[in-house]
Amino acid sequence: MKCLYCDNEIKDYSLYSLLFEEDKLCLKCRNKMNFHHQKFKLEELEVESFYEYESLFKDLLLQYKECYDEALYKIFLYKIYDYIKLKYIGYKIIYVPSSTSKLSQRGFNHIKKIYESLNFEEINGLEMIEDISQVAKSYKQRSRMKTNYKYTGKSLNKVLIVDDVCTSGSSLMGVYDAIKDSCKVCKAIVLAKT
Amino acid sequence: MECKRCGNKDPTYFYKGSKGVYCRKCVSFKRILLNEELNKLDYDISKEAGEYHFDYPLTRYQLDSSLKTLEYLKQGYDVLLYCVCGAGKTEIVVKSISSYISRGLKVCYAISRREVVIELAYRFSKIFTNNKVASVYGDHHNDLTGDLIVCTTHQLFRYYQTFDLLILDEVDAFPLSGNETLMNIAIKACKGNIVYSTATLNEFLKTYLSKRKYKEVSLYVRPSLKPLIVPKVIYNLNIINIIYLEIILRRMTNQCIVFVSSKKLCKTLYIIFKKMFSCTYVYSDLDIRNENIIKFKNKEYKYIFSTTVLERGITIRDVNVVILYDRDLAFDKSSLIQMVGRVGRNYKNPYGKAYILSSSYSRTIRECVNEIKRANNIYEMSILRQ
Repeated sequence: MKCLYCDNEIKDYSLYSLLFEEDKLCLKCRNKMNFHHQKFKLEELEVESFYEYESLFKDLLLQYKECYDEALYKIFLYKIYDYIKLKYIGYKIIYVPSSTSKLSQRGFNHIKKIYESLNFEEINGLEMIEDISQVAKSYKQRSRMKTNYKYTGKSLNKVLIVDDVCTSGSSLMGVYDAIKDSCKVCKAIVLAKT
Repeated sequence: MECKRCGNKDPTYFYKGSKGVYCRKCVSFKRILLNEELNKLDYDISKEAGEYHFDYPLTRYQLDSSLKTLEYLKQGYDVLLYCVCGAGKTEIVVKSISSYISRGLKVCYAISRREVVIELAYRFSKIFTNNKVASVYGDHHNDLTGDLIVCTTHQLFRYYQTFDLLILDEVDAFPLSGNETLMNIAIKACKGNIVYSTATLNEFLKTYLSKRKYKEVSLYVRPSLKPLIVPKVIYNLNIINIIYLEIILRRMTNQCIVFVSSKKLCKTLYIIFKKMFSCTYVYSDLDIRNENIIKFKNKEYKYIFSTTVLERGITIRDVNVVILYDRDLAFDKSSLIQMVGRVGRNYKNPYGKAYILSSSYSRTIRECVNEIKRANNIYEMSILRQ
């Protein structure tokens, strides 16, 4: 099998990948993705992040999101999968919505594609009021996202908000503000924090 | 199955996504579906185009080569333009470019680095005063059309089957050399003839060209009609080399570029030497690199520490070069020749000094020196024959 990033044949396997799940990246590339488990708070919301938004992780995420390379979706949850699955038993999942123009171009929802394999129950009813794409926006423009979400659905018990990268945190906070009145416990997961 | 953009036929590189099958080999240039039509860029060229003038006269060697190049192109051959550093490859192709533009055909000049693109676009706009010269690179691709397009090789994927004449400069250098995907993309951007121009032939290019029909035009002399500068090689321990470097820099009267092998070393040397000399530094992902280069060109600083960013295509007058050679991995033969080729590019004052400081005796350095001496020999022999 070939490494999805450097195209070299994978010859060495780590013990984890032999025993549990096969890695789609070679060991060299995997070690370049800086794994860094962090817990931090955005106002009241507890957020966990797993990678540093640097070098190879950044390249891979950009190739996945902006160059529409769908094949990469499996590599982001490698080794974290079990952790999330066990820690958040009983949670329902909510994906941070992305702009519809990007979605139709891309052909797939990139956040949903990553976290779909967790098999958590999905919550519908969260919408964007205004269709804004966040790419290359300044800090000020991004902060508009805080009031850009509305939730119309039934009340919930435990909710897990998932996103790819937390830059200013405004879209996470926007979703949290929209949903906090109709749920009891709310937590968030992102892949990386800048 | 074949990818229309990069010509990949290996089935392991194809992936079936939710929109359809796409090629993963060239996916970093944005996804192209297998059944998707690549859109061709179509634009018009202004009618009165094609006139050019130089501020300085060309030598008869340059005129000879430029006529030869145009002749071969008219016969339908690809051309390999093999000239020593600073021989004026740009000036040689200008005649062919003007001939193509005046016939209403599309021309592109592609080179590997964005710094060089900026500089070349400026130079071309001085040469073709009536024409619109468009420069296309990394963050600068809003306007893709013009009478003459100067772009980085990575941007060629935007022009599928567009150009009648494509000039690939520095074919032996980093992104193109050894990268078949990019080479295929570059070649698919052209529907007419290609001019490969280089100062150092390497194995990749030789094997690549052996599959194609081409004619070679070579030039072994600079416009100043003086031989190339042969570098002085000094072998020492690494620490003593640094002291040597300081002594050399203290004695120097002209500006000087110091080439080092890594970004870290570049920064460290800058920190050490900034108290002694007026100096600056540059490497590829430095935010202020353009400002630093411009300030160095305006002679605000005397010395610049650089990685291989400044190795090719850049002309700074009256400059000396010191190369801190470290390991065979960082510099190969062609990059050493290119670095030494920065010296003596002034038409009126074709002198200068080049030093290579190394801690170990290396085959690469020897090959570089031999290659330069060989080019000088060929030129001297040709003078003797006349």
